[in-house]
Amino acid sequence: MNTTTAPTIAPRRRRRLELNASLVVGVVLTIGFLVIAIVSFFWLPSNPNIPNIKNRMLPPGTVDHWLGTDGLGRDIIAQLMVGARTSILVGAGGATISLILGTVAGLVAAAYGKIADETISRGADIMLSIPGMVTALVLAATMGSGALTTIFALTAFFTPSFTRVIRSAAMSVLQEDFITSAKLYGRGKLFILARHVIPNIAGVMIVQFTLYFAAGILTEAGLSYLGVGVTRPSISWGMMLNEAQQTVGISSPLAMWPGLAIVIVVLGLNLLGDGLRDVLDPKLKRRS
Amino acid sequence: MSAVTPFPTDARPLLEVRQLSQVYSLNRQKLFAPRPKLKVLDSIDFSVRPGEAVGLVGESGSGKTTLTRMLTGVERPGEGQVLYDGADVWTGGEAHRKLFRRSVQVVLQNPRSSLDPRMRVGTSLLEPLRSLKIEGDHAARVLEVLDQVGLDKNALERFPHEFSGGQLQRIAIARALMPGPKVLIADEPVSALDVSIQAQVLNLLKDLVRDLGLSLVFIAHDLSVVAYTTSKVYVMSSGKIVEVGKPLDLFRTPQAEATQALVGAVLSVEAGLAGNALA
Amino acid sequence: MTTSAKPHAIEVKDLVVSNGDVTAVRGVSFTIPQGGRMGLVGESGSGKSMTALALMGLLPMGWSTHGSILHDGVDLVTQSDKALSSRRGRTLSMVFQDPLSSLNPVRRVGDQISSVIRRHTGADRKTAEAQTIELIKQMNLPRPEQLVRAYPHEISGGQRQRIMIAMALACYPQLIIADEPTTALDVTVQKQVLRLLNGAVRDRGSALLMITHDLPIIAAMCDTVAVMYAGRIVEIGPVQEVFRNPRHHYTRGLLDSQPTMDNIALDGSSRLVSIPGMVPPLHSLPTGCAFNPRCPAATDKCRETMPELGTDGISAACWHPIHLAGEVAAQ
Repeated sequence: MNTTTAPTIAPRRRRRLELNASLVVGVVLTIGFLVIAIVSFFWLPSNPNIPNIKNRMLPPGTVDHWLGTDGLGRDIIAQLMVGARTSILVGAGGATISLILGTVAGLVAAAYGKIADETISRGADIMLSIPGMVTALVLAATMGSGALTTIFALTAFFTPSFTRVIRSAAMSVLQEDFITSAKLYGRGKLFILARHVIPNIAGVMIVQFTLYFAAGILTEAGLSYLGVGVTRPSISWGMMLNEAQQTVGISSPLAMWPGLAIVIVVLGLNLLGDGLRDVLDPKLKRRS
Repeated sequence: MSAVTPFPTDARPLLEVRQLSQVYSLNRQKLFAPRPKLKVLDSIDFSVRPGEAVGLVGESGSGKTTLTRMLTGVERPGEGQVLYDGADVWTGGEAHRKLFRRSVQVVLQNPRSSLDPRMRVGTSLLEPLRSLKIEGDHAARVLEVLDQVGLDKNALERFPHEFSGGQLQRIAIARALMPGPKVLIADEPVSALDVSIQAQVLNLLKDLVRDLGLSLVFIAHDLSVVAYTTSKVYVMSSGKIVEVGKPLDLFRTPQAEATQALVGAVLSVEAGLAGNALA
Repeated sequence: MTTSAKPHAIEVKDLVVSNGDVTAVRGVSFTIPQGGRMGLVGESGSGKSMTALALMGLLPMGWSTHGSILHDGVDLVTQSDKALSSRRGRTLSMVFQDPLSSLNPVRRVGDQISSVIRRHTGADRKTAEAQTIELIKQMNLPRPEQLVRAYPHEISGGQRQRIMIAMALACYPQLIIADEPTTALDVTVQKQVLRLLNGAVRDRGSALLMITHDLPIIAAMCDTVAVMYAGRIVEIGPVQEVFRNPRHHYTRGLLDSQPTMDNIALDGSSRLVSIPGMVPPLHSLPTGCAFNPRCPAATDKCRETMPELGTDGISAACWHPIHLAGEVAAQ
């Protein structure tokens, strides 16, 4: 009996490794994506904007053009590399600006009384009720297309959702007893927000940022595909998809490459976001 | 109550509320109907003398949470006064309010929630000194207080999630002691703790009152826990103080209906073994 | 044992509950006879709630059960989810700590009770509704006809817990597991709910497994008690014996740290006897007896070898059990 009833403790840490698998894959994909974009500033296989009729529609596997060329003879790899740059500029730009605006608005709504909360929350509701694509199309039509317009459209699109997330995260922190303690010691709202609330919602902010980064890349590709996003000499994966449409009857891989790039990068960022959520959640951490 | 006052009357109260009332407006039942009013506190008189340990008991909804909020200065009373050392906390001027904030400290029920999970324990302990702008050798003060609550100094570099509930409650008590308070208000300080840890924390509070000459206001729903820690107990029901007395007298001869209910609710191992606990 | 005319309500043998990372229950065995009442006492992390969830087959994701749980002629450990689910509420039922989160907030309480009855007895709607009203009457609840139409948020905590008890008892289960059924309630309501549970369990002849950290509740409700510490039963026996003459130093410590009339009577200077130290986390249990770092009687033997229940013919898992007055010490 002595030996049977005393089971040895099973090897530990298995569960945590499983959780972190998504983080590892996400980090690898995201870093690869960033590296490609950075390299594009220093080195490109050829100029992605200069047509070369002689080399048009080369198949994948051709020497010097490993993924082939498009209908105007421009190298696909070079275009994908410059496209990564655009995706980061627009996706990260839109996500960063909306993160900043959303955090400020969310914190004000959570901490500065009922009137501020009602105004900001209802304002966010109204903005969310307008379809984002329509907003972006209208903006592009009135302001002209381009990377800046796209970032602006993304900001208008994402800020209300950010505001809501930050507001509810901040509200749950503000209900904690350590906030009451800080108030009892005479700490002001700004101090409480900066020293107590923001560190406690930083995890939420980071996770949301990666997810909106991915959503920004998707939206930008969509707008550029519709022809209201970025324009040459900038290159976007969405734009490449649009152009590939004209030659899809001749060569389908042309549409596949930018599509694949979008899928991999968006997947990578989402995995990164999920993985970070598990690691940054203090409740999960406490159990380990 | 009895003619002989069981506690000394010569000492002046340190923390006192006089004729305190508070009314909350509830949500409208109909669109244009007036908001119904709820009287959560009704003409409360309550006081603690220097070095005295006082209990406050009542069921949930009796108003003891609201009274606690008044005593700690979180909420401003609608009617009546909150006095510290004889002067009104809300109208006595900024200097007096600062003295009040420094001298009356609170320990809350859930130690997990009362310490910022992202702040090192050392930083949390210094918070009261920094925000109240108290001068002096902060590092020495931290070590002194850690010793008083029975914690090791390697706790300072760690984060709250590395501690058990009982240790966290010691840290919360340490933080309350940092500014050198005269009154400690403990709101259900052991009800979130394990049984074997509760006794440790109750003993610690008792020692602090004795060794540091602190006044203690102990708020709880369990009469036996309050009775163990305090020498005078206020019983609250429906926003009123319905009975005041020594814990033993309240136990033996409860007068008010609310007190009788609370005494009747106390379960003990002895009664259980004798088979009449649920009678 | 299996051949006896009156089988046990439940017979747990060498129960182990783990998630591969930590082991919350480390070899627990006990039996509750038909109509018997056992209390399971322990602090947070003792494994008492995980034991209850294992019996009900309601462990959280990732946790698994080993050992055997004999109930109603079958081993629950080997049963399928579907088979377990058809038992829950019928032969085996549970009352949880928080009645608000265990009731469906968008269904009327009457419907929730009658659907349990209909599911397990196959009664038609009319019969089930009549039985529901009868049950609510038995729970001493006012105006049963109106109450069945109320939603959980419209009634008080004590009433909700009575509804939960009614639901658990609806099908005359062989065993009711109550996990801290009164901890979330106001103190003055606690006693009424316990009294009700007491009577209702007795009337149905069900067995009761009462899980709590509160010793007085066990003393009032149960006839045997098992004290759990760090995933193991450290002492088990009749309540009268264990609580009057505890053999394990942990049980002694728990009893001593209860504030009672006696030590209040000693007034201002009195101190509660407290157990030093803290409950060890499951992933770093001390070797030998898990209680040894906090135990006043610990020796090298306690630090090296884990004691089993039944050493020295005493029902405490301790190398140096507390001896009764007049008993000759073994060492």
